[in-house]
This record gives sequence, structure tokens and C-alpha cells, in this order.
Amino acid sequence: MKNRRGPRRLLLLVSCGATALLAACASAGSSGSSGSSGGGTGALTIAVFNPFSGADASFGPEEMAGCTPAAKAIEQAGGILHHAKLVCTAADSRGDPADAIPAAEKLLATTSGLVGVIGPSSDEASATVPLFNRASMPMFADTGQLIFDKTTDKYFYRITAPDDANGYAMALYAHKRGLNRAAFVFGTDISSQGARATAMKAFRKLGGTIVANEQLSLDQPSYRTEVQQVAAAKPDVIFTEADPQTSATFFAELKQLGHLVPFIGTGGTIQPPWLKAVSGAIGAANMATYYTAAQPYAPTSGPAYQSWLTALKADKSQVAAPASQWYADPYAMSDWDSVNIMALAMEEAKSTTPAVYNPYIVKVTAASPGAVKVTTFAAGKRAIQAGKKVQYLGAVGPIVFDRYHNSPGGFEIVKADGTAITTFSPAAIAAVK
Amino acid sequence: MSTLIASVGFGLVTASILALAAVGFTLQFGISNLLNLAYGDTMTAAAFAAYLANRAGADLWLMLLIGGAFGAVVSLALNRFVYTPFRRRKTSLFGMVIVSLSVAVIVQNLLLAGFGPSFFTYQIGQSRTLRAGSLALTVNQLLIIALAVAAMLALHLLLTRTRLGKAMRATSTNPSLALGCGINTTRVVGMAWLLSGFLCGVAGVVLVANTTAFQSTTGNDFLVLVVAAAMLGGVGKPYGAMLGALVLGLVTEIAAGIIAPGLKEGFAFALLVLVLLVRPQGLFGDATSRAVAA
Repeated sequence: MKNRRGPRRLLLLVSCGATALLAACASAGSSGSSGSSGGGTGALTIAVFNPFSGADASFGPEEMAGCTPAAKAIEQAGGILHHAKLVCTAADSRGDPADAIPAAEKLLATTSGLVGVIGPSSDEASATVPLFNRASMPMFADTGQLIFDKTTDKYFYRITAPDDANGYAMALYAHKRGLNRAAFVFGTDISSQGARATAMKAFRKLGGTIVANEQLSLDQPSYRTEVQQVAAAKPDVIFTEADPQTSATFFAELKQLGHLVPFIGTGGTIQPPWLKAVSGAIGAANMATYYTAAQPYAPTSGPAYQSWLTALKADKSQVAAPASQWYADPYAMSDWDSVNIMALAMEEAKSTTPAVYNPYIVKVTAASPGAVKVTTFAAGKRAIQAGKKVQYLGAVGPIVFDRYHNSPGGFEIVKADGTAITTFSPAAIAAVK
Repeated sequence: MSTLIASVGFGLVTASILALAAVGFTLQFGISNLLNLAYGDTMTAAAFAAYLANRAGADLWLMLLIGGAFGAVVSLALNRFVYTPFRRRKTSLFGMVIVSLSVAVIVQNLLLAGFGPSFFTYQIGQSRTLRAGSLALTVNQLLIIALAVAAMLALHLLLTRTRLGKAMRATSTNPSLALGCGINTTRVVGMAWLLSGFLCGVAGVVLVANTTAFQSTTGNDFLVLVVAAAMLGGVGKPYGAMLGALVLGLVTEIAAGIIAPGLKEGFAFALLVLVLLVRPQGLFGDATSRAVAA
């Protein structure tokens, strides 16, 4: 549920040439400094491969907010095997496949001690997942794209719910509130489209009527015509996702016409930049009144959550301020889990070589007789060193990988301030599919 | 019918913002033979300057002035310290495009570093919505239309009634001949960049006031439409840019209203391609415009 588009259209021609050149250089260069052996002692690196510039520049810091505290906590626990140091490094995909491919090639070819990747996002996943997979590099993606629901890429993992599940939760919530006339307002970019089809399908299945279906070209100076059409259809709820600027313009103009109605966003809308942009456009009071969003459920209580919160607070100066914005952020929490899982898999495999430890990723999260349940790397490392099996319990909840390396959880409906309204279990989601 | 009327009204707002930006862009090409792809990022930088002024208490009018002045100064500096040295080295048109593209990336990254990957909103208050049948526009949107019309009229008077305007046209048509006729072309070029930069800055503020939220890439996102309007009208031709902006603004909104919102850009660019097939030089263009279009 992350993405987009246009500023780089003019850059595309130039980028193509540069891409080809860089890709050629990358392939011709080192065969990769990643995948250090279990015997070394140098620093290990987890790359956060996400947009750090461009329109989705907010994604990168969000992922780093999960990676950095995890790396720090792992170092404090003595590091992984003989490697005392673990580094989270930012690898900027710029949110565009044209930029992301050479960035991924460069990352793989030149990063010392690279053992895993956090990312990619929907912006660049289709283009770069095959690259990481071919390089035998485990990746914990934050893409919500449906095409990865049944991927056979053995190095691909996802512990956040796919976008289509988001759509089911949105429809369920509208139905629960008795809102039966819906307008669908989604950006035309790939990441905004993820939840649209399933939300429509589920909303119809639940007896709702779709009165308008607007697809917004991104970052236009005005959406008055689209707003007029939505207003004329008299919806009692709007399902939505677009990039922050597009959404801000659309809802500001909807407000100007006096047609604000409850609107339910995807998990892509609950991020700080979107909330800031739309809140600035329609006012905080209207946000509180009309806006809710469906996002992957991440419990904000219990030992696993406390482990995450403690680590984040201890390392708060190293994440994008204010650190409090990440306390209940499911993506940051899933990244904390992802780093811990990879680190424990390395301990279990007794190797930091990605191709060797990869099969252990599923093993350290699976429930098994006698497995010690742990919520931190430190506890897991102690158990493994004591010769026991471990089951890592995530801050996002229990992690149960299916055969496609997906671990979808439940969903919750939240307000703009993060207050949870209701929760839908995986079973409830499955019932409306 | 009501959808068409409403779309025309909304199209005029889009066209007005586009006209302010496209005329400045095309002026720069006309006077310097340069497709300045840093134009969109200069718009964003001006929008940020106005944002800082807004935070200090400035109202929309003062923000327009500050944004315009900032755009003028930045554009003048870019021309004098970056583009002119390259032109003196006889850098090709394509080479200059790459230079301006590099400047665009630098400006965008500086804005990202300075303001962060966040979105910003002007605090200019909610303006009243005025309705006439199926048409509903806010007071601010009517002001944008009025501002664009006033700016275009002022530019017309400048180009046709003043010595500076005539010197600009002469320099644009044939710089060597203009120099031979005693025109200080360096000064004229500088003034043209100041003027186009002012329009660029004002366009940045107006764009952001209309979109409500903006970030470091906002102007660059808009640049494609700006270039399209300039190309449609004939690159280097201010009146062409005005007409190009009007056509694109109306076509995008009418396409959104009658065909499909998701196709409005595609429809507008299809029209651009068709026009350029028939008139490669654009609606108002000449041989120079034709060379650029080719």
C-alpha cells in the first residue's frame, strides 16, 4: 500500500541510460560482498530498501524506525554469532522502478556484510523482488501487492497483511456502521489500487451499493470535477487511498462543496504524512469526525509489544522524531520483528550466509513442542545457545508463515489519533472473501 | 450539460494556474533558448518561501509577492551563475537540458533536506464557495482566475507597449541583430529571467494554495503539464503558452467530467500529440519551436 509516479516522467529518458549503465557496472563488478560466512567477525548489514526521497520519502524513515532499535538491541545482546556489530543502512529506491533497479543492483554488489533486506515497498517490489531473490537475499517486504500472496520466491517474506485484506476490513467496517452507499475514490497508482477491488467486492457482497467510482490522476492542481461527481452521487461513505497531496486536494475541495461524509482509508492513509496533509486540508476537527482507517492489527499491549516499545524508547534519538509516532506503527513494528527473526535464524543456522540461514526463518517463528517462546533476540539467543528451539512472538502478533512465506494477521479500524475502534480477526476477513 | 458547464468552470481554474507557470517557462526559452527543467522545482522553492512567510503571519497577497520575488531572484541567479557559463561554452540544447535537469535534482534534494519528507499546508483560511447553477467555485479560485488574467494582460502590455518588452521580443527573435541595434541584450535577458522567475514563483504559490498540501516534489509533478502547455502553444511564444494552458486546462477537466477522471491526463496528452502531428511548431510556434518539438 505504498507508492507512485510523475515527477520522474521527465527524468525517465535520462534515467534509462543511467540505469543501463549502472546495471551493467553492477553486474560486471564484484559478485557481491553480501552473505558473509559464519566465521567472520566484521559488521553485518541489514539494508532498508525503501523510498527515502521522492514522493514516498516518508516510507524509508518508517522502516528505519523498526530496524534501528532492533540492531541496537541485538548489539547489546552480544551481536549475531561472532559479529558484534549490526548496521541498518538506508538504500534509497526513490519509489520508482527506474531508480530502484540500479539501486538494488548497487546495494547487492557493493554493500559489505549484507545479510538481509527490509523492503521493498509496493513502489518498486515488482521490479526488485526478483533481483533480491536471484541474489539469494532474504527480504521482509512491506509491499501489499496481491501478486505476492502466492509467490514462490523462496527469499521473500511478508509479515504485514496484503492490500486486498485491507479492502475486506474496510467494507466490513462500513457494513457494521450501517453505511450502505459508497463512493470509491482511489489514486491511479499501483499502490493505491491494492485494496480497491476487494473492498468493492466485499461491499457488494455485504449488500452495499456503489454509487461512484472515481480514479484520480495523481497530483493534479484540482479535482473539482471528480468532487462534483462524488457529491452528486450522495454517498454515505467514501473508501479511499491516494497519495497525501492528491487526497488533501480532493478532500479540501469536497469540504468546500459541503459534502464531507465518513471516509474510510486504507492502511496507507494512516501514515503521518497523509494524516498531516489531509488534516491540514480539512482541519483536525473534521478528521476526528469523518476519518477512520483500516490497518494491520498490531497489539499495543503484552510482552512482545513491551519489548518493542522498550527498545524503541531506548534508541529514540536514532529514529525520525518524534519517536512516539512509531510506538503503534505496524510497519515499524513489523520491521523490528523482521530483523529479530533474521538474526535468530542466523543464530539457529550458525551461519550468516543468507542462503544457509534462509530456511531457518520459518523455523524460528513456528510453534513446536518444547520451543521456548521469546519476544527479543537476546532471549532467543540465550535459548538457542542452551540448545533449545525457539518460537519468536512478534510485536505484530504471532507470526505464522504460510507456504508462500506470508503471515497475514488481523485488521483494526482506527481513528486519526490512532485510537482503535474495532478489530477484525483473520477469520472475519476470510468470511467476506 | 451541467457536468460540462461545471467542468469548464473548473478547467478555467486549472488553466489559470497553468498559464501563470507556462508563460514564465516559455519566456525563459524564448529569451535564452533553454528548456529549464528546474522550473518546477523553482516553483516549489518559491512555495516554501511563501510557506515560511505564512508561518510568520503573511496573508495570501503578501505570500504571492514573496513567492514571486523569491522565484525571480532564484531564476536570475540560476541563469547568471549556472546556465550562462554553460551557454558561453556553446553547450548544446540537449546538454543544457541535462544541466537544468541536474539543477532540478539538486533543488529538490535541498528542499527535501531542509524541510524533510513531509507535507505542508498554507494557513490562509477557508474561502467562501460561490454557486451559479451547476458551477461552484471558491473566492480564492476566482481570485486565481483574476490574477492570471491580470498577469497575462500586464505581460501583453509589457511586450507590446514598453521599450523593455520590445527589446525582449527583439532579443528573442535575433540576439545578434538586437545587440547590433544597440540593445543591451545581457540586461534584457536578465530582466526576462527576473520576470519569468516572478511568474514562476507566483505560480508555485497559487498551485499550492489550490492543491492545499505540498511537498518537495510538488512543482516537479506539475512541470509535465507546464511543458505540455508551452509545447502546445509553441515553445518560446508567450501567447501560445496562454492558449496552450487554456486548452489543456479545459480538456483535462472536461475529460474528467465526461469520459473518466483517471484518463484526463492521457486525454490531454493525446490531444497534444495530435496537435503536434499537424503543427509540429505548436499553435503559435515558428521554426525554432518546430526544432524544439522535433
